[in-house]
Amino acid sequence: MINKKQCVAMLLAGGQGSRLAPLTTHIAKPAVPFGARYRIIDFSLSNCVNSGIDTVGVLTQYQPLELNDYLGNGNAWDMNLRYGGLHVLPPYQAAHGADWFKGTANAIYQNINFIKRYDPDYVLILSGDHIYKMDYSIMLQEHIDNNADATIAVIDVPIEEASRFGIMSTNADGRITEFAEKPKHPKSTQASMGVYIFSTDALIKYLEEDEQDPDSQNDFGKNIIPNMLADGCRLFAYLFTGYWRDVGTLSSFWSTNMDAIGDLPDLWLNDPDWRIYYRHSFNPPQYVGQTAQVTHSICGDGNAIHGKVMSSVIFNNILIEPEAEIHDSIIMSGTMVGKGAKIEYAIVDRGAVIGEGAVIGGVKESNELTVIGKDVVISAGAVVQPGEVVTENR
Amino acid sequence: MNAFGLIFADSYDVALDKLTEHRTLAAVPFGGRYRVIDFTLSNLVNAGIRNIGIITTQKYDSLMNHVRAGAEWDLNRKSTGLTFLPPYSSEDIRKSVYENRLEAMQSNMAYIRNMREEYVIMTSCNYIGNVDFDKMLEYHISTGADITGLYTKNPHNKAGDIPSTEFIVEKDQTVSDVRITSDPAEGACIAANAYILKRQDLLEVLEHTIRENKTSFRRHVLIEAIERGYKFMAYEAPETLLFLDTISSYMKSNFELLDRGMRDELFYNEYRPVITKVKDSAPTKYASEAKATNSIIADGAVIEGEVRNSIIFRGVRVKKGAVVENCVLMQDVLVGEAARLNYAVLDKNVTINDCRMLSGYITHPFYVGHGENI
Repeated sequence: MINKKQCVAMLLAGGQGSRLAPLTTHIAKPAVPFGARYRIIDFSLSNCVNSGIDTVGVLTQYQPLELNDYLGNGNAWDMNLRYGGLHVLPPYQAAHGADWFKGTANAIYQNINFIKRYDPDYVLILSGDHIYKMDYSIMLQEHIDNNADATIAVIDVPIEEASRFGIMSTNADGRITEFAEKPKHPKSTQASMGVYIFSTDALIKYLEEDEQDPDSQNDFGKNIIPNMLADGCRLFAYLFTGYWRDVGTLSSFWSTNMDAIGDLPDLWLNDPDWRIYYRHSFNPPQYVGQTAQVTHSICGDGNAIHGKVMSSVIFNNILIEPEAEIHDSIIMSGTMVGKGAKIEYAIVDRGAVIGEGAVIGGVKESNELTVIGKDVVISAGAVVQPGEVVTENR
Repeated sequence: MNAFGLIFADSYDVALDKLTEHRTLAAVPFGGRYRVIDFTLSNLVNAGIRNIGIITTQKYDSLMNHVRAGAEWDLNRKSTGLTFLPPYSSEDIRKSVYENRLEAMQSNMAYIRNMREEYVIMTSCNYIGNVDFDKMLEYHISTGADITGLYTKNPHNKAGDIPSTEFIVEKDQTVSDVRITSDPAEGACIAANAYILKRQDLLEVLEHTIRENKTSFRRHVLIEAIERGYKFMAYEAPETLLFLDTISSYMKSNFELLDRGMRDELFYNEYRPVITKVKDSAPTKYASEAKATNSIIADGAVIEGEVRNSIIFRGVRVKKGAVVENCVLMQDVLVGEAARLNYAVLDKNVTINDCRMLSGYITHPFYVGHGENI
């Protein structure tokens, strides 16, 4: 007995995330650690679980080793199912040849057999690089009620930022009348979140047609959506009003992490009705020492904190020695911060060692974010200037 | 590893009173994010054991909820793994509530017969420690012992008024007597209730004790083994063992985790991690006014007030102005604004309303039972 799947999700996780370098030098962007204990991809996957979608194809391409390890058989998201569940879909070799994923649409096209196998009524297309909490089932219901061919989730953005997004114009019913990818003169403030629901037949038809077009860039925003609009398909915008952030740049990555701290945070991770699932490592609970001062921060497991931590996001298995001070920073797992070291407005990647008395970065107000790369050793007393990105020991 | 594990989940030698009123000893929360069974299971699994039976007689609901199929310990295998052994599971004796370890094993002979491993490692849950059972088995084999018992000369937080099992250990490390003592002398060899012997020998002993209607593991198995000239070796645990005899010793054993050396020994052994069931809690959150020092603070906790010298479990919330000192606060305890707690052990889901004050003493902690509202 198998259960028919109403909706299957395809999660695009192959992007390089080059603007997040050096955090993405060794790992795919969806695998970048976030929020003291998560990875970016946990948010999309948890949204699926919490929306009742239990079958997800994760399309990987760039630096997939750690991402694949992290995803495993999907058990961390309760997606280790007999029928359905989480599937990692890498590029592959077929009878007609082998190809990397050329664009977002081509990535889905190459895995069209995955969709056909489950034969769902609807396909949800997601990006693995956004931080948000969204109930896709509400959007799906709207899609069904509208008898739509495709529904695109949008958020309202300030008009001055609208040129960075795909912008929809809609009529009174929410039906999309025009779509412009990164327009110079935006006609609306409804920006695409990169979350699409397609009726399966329409998706397959347009993916197959798109593949036949040698001039196509095989991209949803640039090709599929405009083609469907041109053909008069029923495309609707779904306005999402909750928390959503694109963590595409180091500064947006930093500020989105900071959204998770505070007494009434914008990004509420403790929500008992919307749990964010993640793969655990088995660390002991954290210890805060006699000399510790931890305020306005979130912390993971296995840490030993003896210094001062303010307005920061502290991951797992971190040693912060006495008299060290950390302000407005993200400290990733396995790092060591030596006695008297000072870190301000910085991102310290995994396994880095900050020597005694070293000074990293400067005040937040300078607006110059400092980054210490993975496994980098900063020797005692060294100074890293605000705005520097350090990837070699010093 | 040519051994299987047998865990006694029940509390035979402890007086934890209300802590074990609704749960078996193995399910007692410990150290911020664990239950006692986590240490026992992790020790066995880390020694390479793949088959483990958990003998339990009553109040095992929270234990089963916690351990389930043992997936976290990689025990949910096709051909080996974890087996819960509740009462009435076989024909050998029909007793609903075992009163001691021997009866517990007599009732589960079918399981022991079905195992294929040569040795059995059996252990109770009355201590916490990162015990290397692989080493103990090596010792058992290399000394040619018939039975080997685990002991320590330095039982941390053993309560004097609770009877302990004591080995009389000779110069050659053989055991010449097994006694029950209250208030054991300094340097006495206190048994940790963990033994290794051959599965076949155990089966023979069990059959024999059933025939003779004998019920005491100490008298009818251990002492009889000595009298009949079997080689009974004592193995001194190189690890620290923290005991959980009374609520006071439970609290003190928790507080030992505030010592770096103890944490290093217990948790930071690369090849012997302590594994527990995962909860997907959020990270620990410290508010702007938070003051936390010398404490263990688990994930999902929200600290808005002051916490000192305490063990804070998952999901605990300490509200503004509250002061928590020398306390063990179990899962999801809520401490209201400006409340003050000193030497208190609060069980799961306790609510302390605003401005309440509770104070115990290290020898007599103020214990508040599961779900109570003060």
